[in-house]
Order: sequence, then structure tokens, then C-alpha cells
Amino acid sequence: MKIRLVVNGRPRELDVEAHSLLLDVLRDGLDLKGAKRSCDTQVCGACTVLVDGLAVSACTYLAVEADERAVLTVEGLADGESLHPLQRAFVEAGAVQCGFCTSGMLLTARAMLAENARPSRGEVLHYLRGSLCRCTGYRKIVDAVLAAAANGPAAGNGQ
Amino acid sequence: MSARPLRVVGRPVPRVDALEKVTGRARYVTDLTMPGMVHAKVLRSPYAHARVTRVDVTRARALPGVVAALAGADVTWCDPYYGPAYRDRPVLALDVARYEGEPVAAVAAVDEATAEAALELIDVDYEPLTAVMTLEEALAPGAPLVHAGQPPAGHFADLSTLRPKPGTNVCHQFHFARGNTANALAGADVVVEDAYRFPPVQHVALEAHAVLAAWDESGALTLWASTQNPYSVRVELAKMFDVPLSRIRVVVPHLGGGFGSKTYAKLEPLAAILAHTAGRPVRLAASIPEAFQTVRRCASRVAVRVGFRRDGSLVAVECDASYDVGAYADIGPRVVQKGTYTATGPYRVPHVTLDSCAVYTNTTPGGAFRGFGVPQLAWALESLFDVAAARLDRDPVDLRRQNFLAHGEEFAPGDTPIDGKLEESLGRAAEAIGWTQARAADRGRGVAAMLKASVAPSVSEAIVRLHADGSVTVLASAVEMGQGTRTVLAQIAAEVLCVPLDHVTVVQPDTAVTPYDQTTSSSRSTAMTGRAVQAAAEDVREQLLAAAAQSLGLAVRELELADGAVVGPSRRLTYAETLALKFGMSGGELIGRGVIAPGRTAAPLGGSTPFWEMAVGAAEVTVDEETGAVRVERYVSVADVGRAINPLTLEGQDEGGVVQGLGHTLLEEMLYADGHLLNGTLLVYRVPRADDTPAELECRFVENADGSGPFGSKGAGEGSLIPVSPAVANAVTRLTGVRLRELPLTPERVWRALRSRSPQRPDSR
Amino acid sequence: MLRPFTLHRPTSADEACALLAGLGDDAAVYAGGTELLLLMKLGLLRPRHLVDVKRIPGFGDIVDGPRLAIGAAVTHRAVEQSPLVRARCALVGAVARHVANVRVRNVGTVGGNLAFADPHSDLATLFLTLDTAVELVSPRGRREMPLDEFVRGPWETARAADELLASVRLAPWPSRSYAAYVKFGVHERPTLAVAVVLALDGTATHGGDRIRDARIAVGCVDPRPVRIGAAEAALTGASIGDVEAAARAAGDAAAERVDPADDLYGSADYKRDMVAVFVRRALRIAAARARGVEPTERFPHAVVA
Repeated sequence: MKIRLVVNGRPRELDVEAHSLLLDVLRDGLDLKGAKRSCDTQVCGACTVLVDGLAVSACTYLAVEADERAVLTVEGLADGESLHPLQRAFVEAGAVQCGFCTSGMLLTARAMLAENARPSRGEVLHYLRGSLCRCTGYRKIVDAVLAAAANGPAAGNGQ
Repeated sequence: MSARPLRVVGRPVPRVDALEKVTGRARYVTDLTMPGMVHAKVLRSPYAHARVTRVDVTRARALPGVVAALAGADVTWCDPYYGPAYRDRPVLALDVARYEGEPVAAVAAVDEATAEAALELIDVDYEPLTAVMTLEEALAPGAPLVHAGQPPAGHFADLSTLRPKPGTNVCHQFHFARGNTANALAGADVVVEDAYRFPPVQHVALEAHAVLAAWDESGALTLWASTQNPYSVRVELAKMFDVPLSRIRVVVPHLGGGFGSKTYAKLEPLAAILAHTAGRPVRLAASIPEAFQTVRRCASRVAVRVGFRRDGSLVAVECDASYDVGAYADIGPRVVQKGTYTATGPYRVPHVTLDSCAVYTNTTPGGAFRGFGVPQLAWALESLFDVAAARLDRDPVDLRRQNFLAHGEEFAPGDTPIDGKLEESLGRAAEAIGWTQARAADRGRGVAAMLKASVAPSVSEAIVRLHADGSVTVLASAVEMGQGTRTVLAQIAAEVLCVPLDHVTVVQPDTAVTPYDQTTSSSRSTAMTGRAVQAAAEDVREQLLAAAAQSLGLAVRELELADGAVVGPSRRLTYAETLALKFGMSGGELIGRGVIAPGRTAAPLGGSTPFWEMAVGAAEVTVDEETGAVRVERYVSVADVGRAINPLTLEGQDEGGVVQGLGHTLLEEMLYADGHLLNGTLLVYRVPRADDTPAELECRFVENADGSGPFGSKGAGEGSLIPVSPAVANAVTRLTGVRLRELPLTPERVWRALRSRSPQRPDSR
Repeated sequence: MLRPFTLHRPTSADEACALLAGLGDDAAVYAGGTELLLLMKLGLLRPRHLVDVKRIPGFGDIVDGPRLAIGAAVTHRAVEQSPLVRARCALVGAVARHVANVRVRNVGTVGGNLAFADPHSDLATLFLTLDTAVELVSPRGRREMPLDEFVRGPWETARAADELLASVRLAPWPSRSYAAYVKFGVHERPTLAVAVVLALDGTATHGGDRIRDARIAVGCVDPRPVRIGAAEAALTGASIGDVEAAARAAGDAAAERVDPADDLYGSADYKRDMVAVFVRRALRIAAARARGVEPTERFPHAVVA
């Protein structure tokens, strides 16, 4: 089945199977390895990508559903060499350890900030409680998201 | 070394791999591809214990797209057994499957879908056998044996004296004694005893085990593996395939978490064997449920008896610990030794009798997990310490302080003296939690302390290369699994060589390139690998100074390094200039070498610990008595680290350790029924989420520069996890009066304990 | 990884039903896929045909009327954000906000949730207090059925193989209704869920406004969500001020009504006791709201909507 979509701002035309999962199409078809396969059951969030701005578990999302839609992966967050405020905040806050959850955390936060540019800590937790991390204990991740939100309206901008 | 202020060590610099991780460019094993790569899948036993009478892979082999299909009987060209303590684990089950999930057959195919389909074409006949699923069942007289004979010993010197109990499921015993505990307890004023249980839990690294294995035409093997000790994997494979170490190369990209689950060979042997059969590179990646069937923490039952004098001094500790190491020993015997060795905790105690054993059961093999046997012991001892404090009518903080080992005091003959100030950690933790301040009526506070040795003897080697332009490459085999070791090693090299941090590159571990490092575990990378890097950098420094001295006609003692240059009284040469003069051209490099190998000593475990890891945890909790739900409102961890090379990454590591500790304290346990694991998926195995983090969480460090690591550092990362369960349980007891002896403290468990609490006489305080 | 299947995307309910009739057991209805695709990945379901209902007109709509009709393909997120839902029955949106996690809410549908009849469904519990009916369409026409007849047991509904769940129809509570929803549990799926509604009749008494109609539903504990008739009867005619005193009896009645089993979500006796606890707590919250007070107390491992 042919699908036409925009991935990280770039129009793409892909030939996929009905049963192809978006995660595999992104990782293997487009070589975008940032989204990871972990629990494979929509629990952990390591596979999170944004489809039309909404966070989805790419491991359990048919690629054909992305037809005529815009997909954002972690590779599309930065603007060229210029990091997205969330990425910069994660680096500065020490919110990255092994990095396996990082892409999912960043994209989920990005989606949240697009809806709510000044979230409370509780609102951040409401979003991020569906994204697991085993390394950090979450504290610095939440701090980084709040810092990025505080630092500017640009955090949720874009697609 | 001159006592100049440190420039980069001790600074909270962003980690050197942060950029690649936040942009999605960091590569993990399953991100790697090779031309011709095929995908492997594993067929696993559905039974906890069964005879395997027939495995027929013919139909699987015939499926188009399948390039290899193997049963245990097909692995005839190499030794199919591996294991670091006992070589008891076959790559694929032979006549018997010993746990639910044990690999019985494996296939490699052009894509995952074909490999999955091929598994369904494999026919296996099982004859179920009686399984022993718990310590009690495995230790019962006449219990079925998980292993019939005694397998050969593995590759570690400290485990060459394995002591099984023949005819039983006990595969190793450890005993340590001093003084006479029977007499001491008889004469003690207060004796308390109890037994505590620690559940089987899984590491749940978000990246499950993964390997990419490829043989070349010359018969050399290369693996990209998600492993914490490439050198251990290498020696294992060299033994299995009877190939020289030099013909096996293990490369380690980023790990998506480890926590001990990726120590020692796990899936690497099977991947290598499949690759050999297929004649193509094979990627074998486990799923999270398969990780639950690969390794877990050793569960335990620990009985402790402690005796005190009326004045509060600890006189005797008797400990009897059984560890469930699952169906294959993995590193279980050392976990048992290590855990038991510090069963007495950070306290001075003249009379000690410690007995422990590693017990086989028909469950997922138990191996290394952050804490390495000590959480299980600390859960018991630190809980009992509070029971004793109540009986002695003493404040638990005060009683601990009274009995702490002092800085410089001996822990055991031949071993390193205590190299930190426990009372300082305790004091800071108590102050931070507000121990002596009034607390809200609905809150309880508890503390716990820990002491742990690091693996010894051990070896770390490193190479530092100073290039013609003054930039530096560090070659060391400490594995980056999120703890920040790559950054710390870079900081050490940058500090010694006075270059900017971003001029230092730490390459990924690669046994063909980066020299020997025993393991990335045991909190040892900063202290041991770091020392090797420091020594290698100092070697380069000496060469730089000598070269500059020669060119400048000065004595070495008149020169020093500063800002990428060798500086004398009135002359200055950049490193580039120094090298250009030395080599007579623009090229060449200086190579420095560091070898840290303290060797065997008379210490009880065979080597003297390079440092003692010591920490204190303090918790403040609320308990919803109607539901039993415990919430940790505040938690303070104080770790005595000597020097925090990178305070930012260290704090992050310890915050993570506390929350991971809250996992087994409040939420996590692997549940079995009728021989089956009921909750081997994240849908029903509950790890901490973002809203489980205590609202107030502080991780602090005592830094007295008293460690043997670089710049006075010691190890860290396990100390934050170990005190969590007893600190929380002690807080629950002080608030509610109930004492729990089994983890996790799920709402239901606490609810049940509260219900059986007698209103007049609380269970204990 | 999924086994291959053919994806059908009918653009009318008739077309969809005809496909289901023709394909029989080989077909599965597909909307968000959050339950279906998961079961397919685990190999527990192996349909060779998926019939996507997202392009059927009306299936994605929320329509006002005497009943509020939520199309089967409306996502939890759309329910959460819908101004219509907020206006007619705000608690439904508040509960939708807490289903699973944000990714599942973005993609998963109300219809899919009910049609799967997972015994741990938050929404099914709440909907039991809303005289909810499901609209089913098939080649034989259209029919409506009360929700508690539609959900027969765990993963079992009254939907015929060639029938589609087209919409869910809620009877919003009358004005002067005060409700609370609480779910409790440690795992991804809750151990229990409680929904209570107190509809006042406008009569002020010495103890406060009088309760004309009380509804208490308990879910996740039994194979299907249940209403606690005994407790509802006891509260009818009582005043808001009496709720505090009546809450204990109501909780006990609920505990007696349910028949939990031991499982990973808790032992039977624990669940029974928790049902009593959370029915009490939910009633207290609803009563406080009736008095114009928004309670701030929160309970560990519990979500309050």
C-alpha cells in the first residue's frame, strides 16, 4: 500500500504493507533509529513519535495510519544544528543517562508543551507517567521539562 | 602531583554523550545492521522442569528464508556450556529444560517474521518433571535436583573454590566466623532475631539483551553486544569455541541500561553459534519478556540474630542466608559470598558467624543486580537493627552511630580498612530528613545504613593517546550504560593533561582496541578504570614533560602542564609544538599506559576491596491505613564518595538508584504459580513511574578525598539503592507499629499486616 | 511484529457489515487498534482481515440530543477535549483523561474499549451510571441495547459477528447531580473502579439537599461492572448531610455485592475491602461536591475524577 506522509518536515512516499508497524517503517525503512522498541506493548513509551502533533506508540500503530499525516521523530526536533529547547534542557539538567527512553520523553514533552506551554509539575507528571525510565528516577527529566517550559514559548512550537 | 585547583574534575559538566542521545544518533546494538545480516528468534521451554525427548527442526529449516535452525543436539562442534562460576548453562537445552523460558531451539532467518514463523514449525516433545520453585521446595530433603552432577568451574579465580553440597540443590556455600557467637549471644543483654524475605525482581533495562555476531573467513569472531563486560564474554566464547582470545572481538556500543543484567555471557554464545551455522551475521535481540527469562536478582531468605549489651554495643551477629539463584548459577555464588561478607553491615562486631548458600531452583537464573547480594542482607540487618533499638529503648540513629566502624578501622583481617566516615553520612542524612524535629502526625521516618565491598582482586588497564594536535583519545573498556563513565574518564584525562574536555574522546569498548577491564559493575569504574586512565594520562604527561625538557634544555622539574601547553619559567610549548619537535615532523603521538592490578591478598574474598561503598538512606512516609498504600514523601540518600568527579551525573545516578530501590521496596516482585511466571511483562510487572518519585528527593555526597580512586574518589551507584527498603520499612514501623519482613510492601501486604496488628501491643516499634 | 492481513476501509456501515458477514471469524473490527493490535502481536488473535471503521460517516462524531451519542471511533482524547461532553456530562471527559496513558488516549477509542469488554475498563464502570445504551448496526438493521446487557462478561459482548458497535449513547445526569469517579490499583489496569452519582431533587432539608436518585457502580472487580442496588436504595431520599453516616453501610453493601477472585490485581478479600473503602470515599467526594466543596485529598495509587 502506498502512503504519502511528511516525516520531520520532509515529504515521503513509501510502499508499506497493511501490517507494517510505524516503528519498523521509521527505523528500518527510513533509517530513523531514534525511536526504540522496548516493551512492545504501549506501556513504556520508548517508541513514541508524534503523528499530527499527538504522541502515539509507534510499536502498535499501523504505518498506513500515518498516510496524509505529519510524523515527528526525535531526529526532527532540532533545527539543523540548533537544539530544541527541550533537548538543551535535558542536556543541561542531566536528564539523560542510558538514553533509551530519551527520545520518547522528549517527544511526549514536546506534544504536551504544544498544548500547555506552562504546565505545573502535576501536569507534567500526568503526561510523563506513561513513559518509563529505569535510570534517572525521573526527577531530572521533570525538572528539564519545566525548565524548558519556563525558558520560552518556543518549546512547543513547530509542527 | 601539584595541589592546584581542579579545573574539570568535580565540575557538573554535561555528559559527553548527551548530544548524541538527545538527537537520536546514539547507537545501540539493535540500531546496527550489517550486509547479509539475518534475524534470530528463540524457542523457549514452556515448562519449569521437563525432560526434552525430541526436538525436530526439520520443518523450520526447510522454510524459505530460514538460514539456520538449531536444537541442542546440533551444537556438536563446540563446547555448549558456559557460565562464570559454574559452566553449567547449555546454549540450548540438551536432555532437560530447567526453567520456563530456557532456550530449547533457535532459528535465524532473513527477517523477523520468517524467524517467528519458523519457530512455530519446530516440534518439541517434553516430559514434565517435578519442579522446585522456591527455596523451601529446593532445600527440602529428597527434593528433585535441578542439576544432577557438579558442573565444571568457570573462569574466575575467586570462584575456583566452589563448595557445593553434593546430592542437594546447594551449589555453593560460604562461611565466615570470628570469635564465638554462641557464647556472646548467651551473654548478651538483648537478643533479637527474625527472618526476612527478598523477592525475585527483574532489572527491566529498557533495552533488553541484544547481540550481533559475525564470523569472518579466517575464523575470527566479532560481536557487537549489549554487555557490561566484553572481556568476560570474550573469555567465555574463547573457551567454548577453543579459539585464542585474540581471535574474538567484542565491541560495545551504548547500552540501554544494564544494572547487572548484562554482566557475563547471556545471549552471546547462542548468537555466535547461530552465526557460525548460518554463515552470515546474526542479530539476536531479546524482548522484555525474554529478559525476564534470561536473568533476575537472586531472591533470598535471610535469618539474622543480633546480640547487644545494655549499653547499646553490638556484640554478636549470626546470619543464615539462602539465595535462590535459579536454574543456572550465573554469578550467583559470588553474589552469595559478596552479600554475606558484609552481613554485619557497617558496624563493629566482635563475634560473627555467617553461613550462606546458593540454591538452584527451576526458575529464571539469578545473577548480578545492583547491590549484588547486599540489598538482601541489608533488608534483614537494618530492619532488625531498628527492632533492637526499640528493645533497647534507643534512638535508631544514635544506636547506629554508636556502633559504626570508624575511619581507618579494620573490617576483616587482610582487607582494606574502612576508608570513609559513616557518622558523617548518617549525621547529614538525619539532619536532612529532620530526624530530631517534630514531624506531622501522619508521617513516619526511618533510616538505614549500608556497607559494600567492590570486587577484588580485579584488573583495569587503559591507554591514553595524545595526538599531534594536542587532542586526546582514551581507550578503556568501562562500558557506558547510562551511569556516565565515559564522561568521568574523559574528565580525568582532561584534568591530568590540562586540556579542554571537548578535546578528549573516549572510544567505545572494543576488545581489539581498548585494553582489559574486568567488568563494569561493582561500582568500580571510577575508582579502578578511572585510576588506569589517570595512570595512563600521567604516563603521557611524563613523556610530554621529558620531550619538552629535552627541546627546551630545561629540567623536568622546572616544567608543568597548563592549558594544553608545557610551561617553563619563561618558555612555553604547546603540545603540538612539543610533539613536532620530538618527532621532527607534524605527526606521531604519545601513548601512555595505565595498569591497575592490586592482586590477591589475604583478605577473606581473595583480594582487598579497592574502596568501601558506604551510604545512608532516610525516608519519611505516609501510610493510607485503609488501603495499606505506602507513599514515600521524602527521601534522603547520603553517599560517602571521596570525590564526586561529576556531581551532576552522580546525583542523577543516585536519584535513579533510590527510585529503583523503591521498585523492589513497594512495587516489584516476580510472581510464580504452578511453575509459571505470571507477570513477566510490563503490563503486570510494575516498575516505578514518574509519579512514584518522592516529592522531596535529595541525594548528597560526603567528599573527604579519602578514596584510592582518582583525586580521592571511591565508587558509587549501589549505595543509594541498598538502604531504601529497610529505611522505608523502618519508617512504616515507626508510624504504624507493624513490622513487615517480606518485600515488596505492596498495599495489600501492608493492609494485611495492619489488620493483624493487635491494638494494645504493637508488633514492634 | 504482526502477521500479514488485508486491511479493509469501508466508507459506510452497510459495507462494513457486509464485510464482517462475509469474512466471519477471519475478520476483526479495527478502530484505534490499541487492544486489537496488542493481542495480534501476542499471537492470541490472528485475523486475516481487519475492517477499519474510522471512515464510516458518523463514527467519529459526538452528537448532542436527549442522549449524548459518542461515535464508536471517537478517541478517549476527543472525549476528554470535547466541549459538548464537558457541558453535558463533565465527569465522562474527566475519566477519559485518565484512561491508560496519553498515547493510548490519543489513538484508542471509546467504542473499541467497550466492544472489547476488558473487565478492567474505566469507562464501562462509569457508563453504568449513565443509563448507557449501545447502538449496533448489522445487515438486519439497527438496534439499541443497554450497556449492561451488551457486556456479558470478560471479553464477551452481545455483538453478533456481523454487527458493528456504531455509537455509545449516554443519558447525562440531570442538573443538580454530583458525581465522583475513583479508580485504585498499582498496575497498568486498575484493581477497582467506583463511580457514584447523587442526583438532588431540589428539596432542602435540615441535613442539606435531598437525594432523589443515587447510583453506585463498581468495576474491574467482577467479570462485569455492577450497580450496588442495596446502597442506592438506602441513599435515595436521604439528605446530603446523611451521606457521611451512610457511606460506611453503602461501602459494606458494595463489598457484599461483588464477588472478586484472587488474581494479580489483588486477593479476593483485599479487593472486597477496597471496594468498601472506595465506595465510601467516592460518596464522600460526591457529597462534598454537592455542598460546593472540591475535596483536595488524594489517595496513593488512586485516581480521582
